[in-house]
Amino acid sequence: MTRLAQTAVAEEVLAQACAGDETARAALYAALASPTLTLIRRMVGQRCLAEDIFQDTMMIFFERLPQYRREAPLGAWLRQIAISRCLMYLRSPWRRARAYLEVADLPCTAAAVLVTPGYRGEAIDVERALASLPPTARAVVWMFEVEGYSHQEIAHAFGRSVSFSKSQLARAHARLRAWFEPQENATSCNLT
Amino acid sequence: MQPDLERARGVAQLLRALPQETAAPYDFREFQHRAQHRTRATRGQTLAAGALLTLMVIAVSVRFFAPAPPAAAPPWVANTAALAPEARSALMEHWLASLPQEPAVVHLGTRAAVTGLEDRIAQLDDLLSAARAAGEARSQLQVLQQERVRLVGTLVQVRYAETLADDSL
Repeated sequence: MTRLAQTAVAEEVLAQACAGDETARAALYAALASPTLTLIRRMVGQRCLAEDIFQDTMMIFFERLPQYRREAPLGAWLRQIAISRCLMYLRSPWRRARAYLEVADLPCTAAAVLVTPGYRGEAIDVERALASLPPTARAVVWMFEVEGYSHQEIAHAFGRSVSFSKSQLARAHARLRAWFEPQENATSCNLT
Repeated sequence: MQPDLERARGVAQLLRALPQETAAPYDFREFQHRAQHRTRATRGQTLAAGALLTLMVIAVSVRFFAPAPPAAAPPWVANTAALAPEARSALMEHWLASLPQEPAVVHLGTRAAVTGLEDRIAQLDDLLSAARAAGEARSQLQVLQQERVRLVGTLVQVRYAETLADDSL
């Protein structure tokens, strides 16, 4: 689980934020913004794009906050909004085409762009490996392996079959393994 | 199979171990500012799209559902007011004869009016011929003649409206 789904918020702050109190909303934003942006970045890759979707997500979050019924933890509820926005982006045909051009055609260059500045050692390799995946495969592997979604839930979210989710995950694993085993499949980049 | 499963677990562990973003991209005040800007932009786009749609609907309505343009006589008709009815009728008929038989775009209502007027003028011509042959009084002939001129004048107005509508396409 990412930190977003586990983020705890004081009940008093949540109640005030639901009532429209700006200070409480600022506190919610401070607690939730960072993990939300992290999740979105993992799903869509590029930071500038992630910030755009992040803005949308937080606007929807605050807009719908008075309707929050506490059936799930607040972080999980926000995570659902964020993933929904990311999938809307990934399903958009012209955006998918753009992502394909930017990432799939030039995986090494794109991977370099996608790496978060300041990360060290193994994290950089993992992030590059994740960035080398096609956008849909990256979203599926993240939802399944990190967020804990089932194949049925992923299939439902994408509006596709369970087989689609399984095949995307299998391909993602194959590519990630190839990335970490360069002696068997030399697809990695030596970025310094 | 077992090594593959272990590798998959290893990949999952690596993904879960990726660090979080260290800070929010911008603070709450900046978020609100951007939200307001985006809302205004979205509202503007919605208004623009609505205005465009309205204009398109109006254009389509005008093109297909607007009534025929109001009848107005050609400018030269006003100069013929002082002429004798026969001469005036001859001028108007000359102008009508110069028009094409059918307009470029046929409006059913206008066409029915033209056909009706042409039929009534033809009936009056028959009546005038019969009256002349029967030696009817001159006053009786004048009444028929004036009615014929009036009908020809109306026909000129309708055909003139048709030519204006054709020119506007």
